[in-house]
Amino acid sequence: MKRTAAPLLAAAGVATALGLAGPAAGVGWVALGRLSAWAGSALLLASLLFMLREPVLTRQLGGWEAMLRAHHHSGVWAYVLLLIHPLALAAGHDDALGAWQRLVAPPGRLGWAALLLLMLGLGTTFSRQVSDRRWRPLHGLLGLGVLLGLVHAALLTVHIGLAWVTLALALAALAWRLAVVNRGLTAQPYRVTAVAHPADGVVELALQPETTALKVAAGQFVLARFQAQAPYGGCGEFHPFTVSGGTAEGGLRVSVKALGRCSGRIQAVPVGAQALLQGPFGEFLPGAAAGPRLWVAGGIGITPFMAALRAQPCRVATTLIYLARTPADAAFLDELQALEREEPSFQLLFQAGDSAELALDALLPQVDRLAERQVHICGPAPLVRALRPRLAKAGVAPGAVQVESFQLR
Amino acid sequence: MRKVFLIATALFWLAIAALGVRALTHPPASAPASAERLIGLAEMARHHSPGDCWLAIDGAVYDLSVYLPQHPAEPAVLAAWCGKEASAAYRTKNKGRPHSAYADRQLPTYRIGRLAAR
Repeated sequence: MKRTAAPLLAAAGVATALGLAGPAAGVGWVALGRLSAWAGSALLLASLLFMLREPVLTRQLGGWEAMLRAHHHSGVWAYVLLLIHPLALAAGHDDALGAWQRLVAPPGRLGWAALLLLMLGLGTTFSRQVSDRRWRPLHGLLGLGVLLGLVHAALLTVHIGLAWVTLALALAALAWRLAVVNRGLTAQPYRVTAVAHPADGVVELALQPETTALKVAAGQFVLARFQAQAPYGGCGEFHPFTVSGGTAEGGLRVSVKALGRCSGRIQAVPVGAQALLQGPFGEFLPGAAAGPRLWVAGGIGITPFMAALRAQPCRVATTLIYLARTPADAAFLDELQALEREEPSFQLLFQAGDSAELALDALLPQVDRLAERQVHICGPAPLVRALRPRLAKAGVAPGAVQVESFQLR
Repeated sequence: MRKVFLIATALFWLAIAALGVRALTHPPASAPASAERLIGLAEMARHHSPGDCWLAIDGAVYDLSVYLPQHPAEPAVLAAWCGKEASAAYRTKNKGRPHSAYADRQLPTYRIGRLAAR
């Protein structure tokens, strides 16, 4: 049920909008133009709801991945419906000049501005050339586009009440995200109590709550913000970090690999630094495993598995394939090797090198009863691409494979 | 989703380009000259349905039956004025805002006569 909660909510929004606006829409192309605008507006509103990053709502609607997927899908299908809107209105004219004049007529100019902002915002989201740092502000264009589009609707429609309610809800969602969530007003304050460097370019921070502790399970992640004005120059933005374990005092540990400007600065975070944490999010590892497991980690993708291994002993046969460029890059390798010696149901298969294909070809044959295993993968995209066909060839059902992508866009 | 976005965007601009080319290559047929005639309030009032919609604006009578489905607002907005004197509604759009210059330019296309004095 939870998997379908977000799509059902979006569909209910569309049905409500069509139910309210449908009877007055008329018939033919023009009616299609009007109804596509209302359906698109409802989906835009749903898309805003799905980006609120509120932990309770996220859980109710199927978890982080489901919310992110619903946010993407409703946003893109809203855009498609809104592209149909002006074309269908123009198609309602019998003569060619009338159709063109309808497209460029002044009443539609605000709508055009909204549509172009949506186009630009989505274009940067899907562009592989735009870095995350540049994408964040450009993604904000989508919010502006949504607001302009809804103002355009409110100025032209006979359903003035419906239009203003939609606009008010959109404004409320954007205000909550920008003024409350992004500023950390819903976040919990934590303090760094220990710092360790388990590998080159990786820092593990032990964080202790100053007020209420987040209830985090193995495999989940938190969004953390370290103050920008602090002496170590934290980046002042919320970034997702997988929890790599708990602390004896009820706190948690996060591991951060230096991959960019922000994560590079966090390497220098000292003991005593303050952080704001939101979450937890994600449901990568189930609490109780029914059968044998295969975990595959690439680089810093080891963190959710570390959290699970530190949380409790393995009750079922668990093999961890761990790939890193060099042994020095492999965080927690010593701890994992010690765990393998202590726990008979845990098997560690580690290999260093640049080729995921070669490593997998060498290690997968060592996994006993591979086809029966539930597989969890956390690592870079090339590792996932290399692994999927090899698992399929070994007889692992696609439904038995779960991938943690940690995507934000 | 990336493919959906790219395909939809490309098709959209292709359709816009096609509409632009069609408008350039198909000039509108010149409207047949019609004799200006006087139309009384009673006659105009008989054309009060969305399918047969006459209304008067600033002394001129317009037959908007064909245009009504194309009106930017829902048909009900305009249909409420069929058969009536609608100058005030045209100037305020019921929201205190006048119609655009584009609308002013379109209106003569549908003119069928002058409103007779009482």
